[in-house]
Amino acid sequence: MNFEQVLNVSKILLEYLPNTLKLFFFTLLFSIPLGAVVTWLKRCRFKPVSWLTNFYILIMRGTPLMLQIVAAYYAIPMIVKGAKDSAAASGSQAGGFIEFLDNCMHSENYMFVTLVVAFALNYAAYFAEIFRGGLESIPVGQYEAASMLGMTKAQTFFRIILPQVVKRVIPATSNEVIVLVKDTSLATIIAYAEIMLKAKQMMNTYSSIVPLFIAGLFYFVMNAIVTVAFVLIEKHYNYYR
Amino acid sequence: MSILEVKGLSKSFGDVKVLKDISFNVEQGQVVSIIGPSGSGKSTLLRCVNQLERADGGEITVDGMKMLTTREGKAVYANKKALREIRLKIGLVFQNFNLFPHKSVMQNIIEAPVHVLKKNKQEAIEEANELLKKMGLTGKEKAYPCELSGGQQQRVSIARALALKPELLFFDEPTSALDPELTGEILKVIQELAKEKMTMVIVTHEMEFARDVSNHVIFMDGGYIVEEGDPSSLFGNTRNERTKQFLKRYKGMS
Repeated sequence: MNFEQVLNVSKILLEYLPNTLKLFFFTLLFSIPLGAVVTWLKRCRFKPVSWLTNFYILIMRGTPLMLQIVAAYYAIPMIVKGAKDSAAASGSQAGGFIEFLDNCMHSENYMFVTLVVAFALNYAAYFAEIFRGGLESIPVGQYEAASMLGMTKAQTFFRIILPQVVKRVIPATSNEVIVLVKDTSLATIIAYAEIMLKAKQMMNTYSSIVPLFIAGLFYFVMNAIVTVAFVLIEKHYNYYR
Repeated sequence: MSILEVKGLSKSFGDVKVLKDISFNVEQGQVVSIIGPSGSGKSTLLRCVNQLERADGGEITVDGMKMLTTREGKAVYANKKALREIRLKIGLVFQNFNLFPHKSVMQNIIEAPVHVLKKNKQEAIEEANELLKKMGLTGKEKAYPCELSGGQQQRVSIARALALKPELLFFDEPTSALDPELTGEILKVIQELAKEKMTMVIVTHEMEFARDVSNHVIFMDGGYIVEEGDPSSLFGNTRNERTKQFLKRYKGMS
């Protein structure tokens, strides 16, 4: 490949960078709060809730994300379609809701929404375990000190515990975020138009492996930025040990 | 009226009875030391009185308020509101300080006055400065706990407890996590507080200190109060064999 071609490939990949970034940011936006909720559910004293949450985490961490994406993208519409057909056959009243779901399946955002749902559910499971680790690493003495000072449970959590958990989970979270940058390439399996998909297409167009390296450079730069961001965040929390 | 009355207190962890029929009183202005071998139940007793553990039976009355009673063999605690009010009457200084590491010295001290007592922040800061002066920590208000020595951290935690103006201050082995050089500064602070007639209960392994500072000593062993009395008689010429044994072994160590 000549220089002009390299430039051309880079330009095209740059055009699809926003799609990769969109998936990345939306996944973070939903998976981090969801992860916190999952942590909370897992620690629920009502055992069935805790068991159910464990089961969810087991599935999410125990099966490939790629499989989950494919399942979300192909299996759900099939199930909905099956339900629609059987509803139509029996003429039941549930048809309205299934109709609504079926319409969603045909909306133009369906692919992106499916991806974000699959990614967010998967990453939430990992984040939940990270948050749980952070939460359980806080010495019980912190709770006791807060309680001796008459603080309420909410005050104790939000003013004493949470700020310390945030500091402790930053290194593990940064790991997970770096993996996420690279995992966005899994979206190529359902032909979501992001960097990896385009790179593969251009490998065919130019019969060259160079587009792949250019894509690699894109991911590398993104992760360099993520790494620097987390170093800065860690620094910000360095005022205490 | 005693500021603290404990009657027939009992507590088990599983099958292990840690406290068996503990009764004692603490009067206003009194400094009480609780001594005894490890595993004798001293810390558990203190934690029960401070609501950090739930007792199985007995009675606890703080400043006239019933915190725990026993009805038909079952421990009955006061309602949440009363328990909270009682909790604020009692301060506790922990063995390993338990300062909030993410908060500065000043923030540690004003946290409860501002957010629990809803005091004006400026007022709380002024009071905190007074306390810091008393603890010999002037100029340290912006420091974080990790930047302080163990002795300084413990003094901050004493200031933090005092900021709520408790009626009664408990110490759970306040010098056990400190090296001997730093022990002295904490004992000095406690001595100062004793002079000001602060009511205090101190669980300690510092026998000499217990003898010097307290006006009442409780010796515990195996979940019972074996003996109690004024320090000169208990340390000087106890008749009790178990106390004698304990004190002798202590002298042998030091």
